[in-house]
Amino acid sequence: MTEKYLAQPDLGFIAQLRELGGETLKKCYQCATCSVACPIAPEDSPFPRKEMIAASWGLKDRLIKNGDIWLCHQCGDCSDLCPRGAAPGDVLSAVRSAAITEYARPKALANAVNDPKKLPILLAIPAIWFAILAFVTMNAGETMTKIFNVFGIAWSHAHEGAEHIIAQANFFSTWFVDMTFVPIATAAAIIFFLSLKNFLNDIHENAVLEGKTDKTGLDYKEFFQAVIKVIPTVLKHDKFNECEANKDRATPHLMVLYSFIGLFIVTGIGFVLLYIAQSPGPYSQLNPMKWLANISGVALVIGGGLMIKNRLDKKDDQVTTYKDWFIIILVFSLGLTGLLTEMARLAHLAGISYFFYYLHLIAIFELFAFLPFSKMAHLVYRLTAMSYAEYGNRK
Amino acid sequence: MTTDNLAPVSESLMVVGGGISGLTTALEAAEVGYEVFLVEKEASLGGRVSQLKHYFPKLCPPTCGLEINYRRLKDNKKIKVFTMSEVQDVAGAAGDYTVTVKASPRYVNENCTACGECAKVCETEISNDFNFGMDRRKAAYLPHNMAFPMRYVMDPAMSTDDRDKVKEACKYEAIDFDMEEKIIDLKVGAIVWNTGWTPYDATKIDNLGFGRYQNIVTNMMLERMASLSGPTQGKIIRPSDDKSPETIAFAQCAGSRDENHLSYCSYICCMASLKHATYIRAQYPDAKIHIYYIDLRTPGRKYEKFYAKLKEDENVFFVKGKVAEVSEEAGSGNINLVAEDTITGEKVRQTVDMLVLATGMQPNCAIDKPNADLNYNAEGFIVNDFKKGGMFAAGCANKPADVVTSNQNATGMALKAIQTLVRR
Repeated sequence: MTEKYLAQPDLGFIAQLRELGGETLKKCYQCATCSVACPIAPEDSPFPRKEMIAASWGLKDRLIKNGDIWLCHQCGDCSDLCPRGAAPGDVLSAVRSAAITEYARPKALANAVNDPKKLPILLAIPAIWFAILAFVTMNAGETMTKIFNVFGIAWSHAHEGAEHIIAQANFFSTWFVDMTFVPIATAAAIIFFLSLKNFLNDIHENAVLEGKTDKTGLDYKEFFQAVIKVIPTVLKHDKFNECEANKDRATPHLMVLYSFIGLFIVTGIGFVLLYIAQSPGPYSQLNPMKWLANISGVALVIGGGLMIKNRLDKKDDQVTTYKDWFIIILVFSLGLTGLLTEMARLAHLAGISYFFYYLHLIAIFELFAFLPFSKMAHLVYRLTAMSYAEYGNRK
Repeated sequence: MTTDNLAPVSESLMVVGGGISGLTTALEAAEVGYEVFLVEKEASLGGRVSQLKHYFPKLCPPTCGLEINYRRLKDNKKIKVFTMSEVQDVAGAAGDYTVTVKASPRYVNENCTACGECAKVCETEISNDFNFGMDRRKAAYLPHNMAFPMRYVMDPAMSTDDRDKVKEACKYEAIDFDMEEKIIDLKVGAIVWNTGWTPYDATKIDNLGFGRYQNIVTNMMLERMASLSGPTQGKIIRPSDDKSPETIAFAQCAGSRDENHLSYCSYICCMASLKHATYIRAQYPDAKIHIYYIDLRTPGRKYEKFYAKLKEDENVFFVKGKVAEVSEEAGSGNINLVAEDTITGEKVRQTVDMLVLATGMQPNCAIDKPNADLNYNAEGFIVNDFKKGGMFAAGCANKPADVVTSNQNATGMALKAIQTLVRR
């Protein structure tokens, strides 16, 4: 470093990191064992040693805008070898969590998602909303039919003779479901788009500043080519598998990722079937789409369950904070309520099936609405950062 | 000091451990006029210091400190030395202890002149612990060339054939295989524990490859190699092929300041590695020396000066970053090491002929606690309880220390022990 650099310590940020699971950050004495222990740290400006001193000094900009924090997969090899118990893996996880909150808008919602005290409110919103919708669906069918007829649209998507089968549409109108989730998903996508634009510019600026890239400008076309190149790495979990200490975390993580992809496809097909093919559910168990849905659902429950088990078993190795529990319990509940809804339906237990469906909708709401603010956002930030590393020739 | 106790029963004191600090405590107390029992578990006094080539920072050989102490010891009738002896039990309280000492047989009596005829005829060989197992020695051996007492030892591993041969070879009737283990009870008023240290077991530091790769040695092994009385007669060569090393790296804090191993700073390793650099520079003027460190700790004017001098040396390179990964280069036996240079922020991958681990010191009490009412800290160092009195720890039994500091607190603890005896 040739230029003078005046450190501007942000004490509040240090406190924030400590609360987010980086309690040990001040123990670091910069021996740099971690940077060598890390199986995926690059040769030039390796992490996480430099992140540890930046955290210790409260250099928020150098951490939040640092793409390297997302290259870390928190395998825990650094924390294992750390001579001071400074747990760099946990500190980086805390930094990522702070970064998600920092880039997300609106801030108030971002803070609420990471605050356990706000959880009852976050759960109450969809709970009340869906209760109202269920009430309307079941009791005001005629009124709704009239309203919908004004626009020339059929109110019910139900089968012919739907009153004789259990169909979730009898409980929650498919219109209501989609009128809830399509705007929410769109809002999440817009928030992500805006956040990522800032994020990408920031990590580029930081990489240029710290000499981590040979690129001077940000060429979006070339960047998207890098994204395409990185996707197979993500799908194969190549980077995650390079980790040693927490190897057993890679498989459940992969299961969850694939089940989300599977369920995403299923949702897409379902949308097409309902609105274009005019063929509402429930569908036959022999339908290939149903196979994909079932396999994905089971994978989600098993993957999520294993994540919970791993976290419980290895309490001392890795700090698990509220943000971690929030997301893995949500993932697990999502799969579980979905499968229970289906099983109860197949067992002709209408009331029970509807009840689980209600819970399932709440879980989906929590996932979609809080996606840009929860740990789940790592999906897009990490993909972006890995793609940038590919683009910027970070070796 | 407590005053309500009865007057001390015994006027004697015991020093456990005959290394440099034990010798100091024993001599300082005896020269004031108190009777001292000096108990040493090895066959000779001298301790770790006798394994060194040079002291730092003066770079003089350890004979310079040991000889004068041995001279004082020989002149002082107040000190009784028990070698090959260990404390088995301590009963009683301050001012009135009964210490049970177990003395193992040396099988050699006072007649020994250290002529060495026994070793010539003895064929049984045993691992040489004094040289950390780098060579073997005869089962009839002199502990080292600065032994006190200057007497041979017959190892129990010696074959029956050899026993006959050595007895025959000895012209002074000094060898006696009928000697037996003795249990002795000694009454003393105070005890000073100078039980010293052991180099930390480097095989426990998994990522530094000691024990897996031949050309990774410890600092104490290097010290023995550099010593004229060592396994290589003073030549620093690498173990795999006896080659003269052209590039040597030092990994500082190997096991020290590491909560997975020794959580504390061992204090001496920085100066030891700097001293080792001087050995290598003297022997191989063209060799390149790379010292990988977290922080170099060279406290005080003299040590700072020593460091400053080496910093000016164009063949000595300092890299701020701990060696965290090692491997062996196929075929050559060279060592590949990886560290992050925290000044440049780049990973350093270097291939060296030999890697020296600057391993730290572990108090012997961490490995084997004496059967006495002592307080230890979490790392096994004895914590002095001056209010209780009676028993004290000095030297590296109390904290990691260099020779100078050990001698200073060894002197202080001699005074503390005397105060227990006098009770004023």
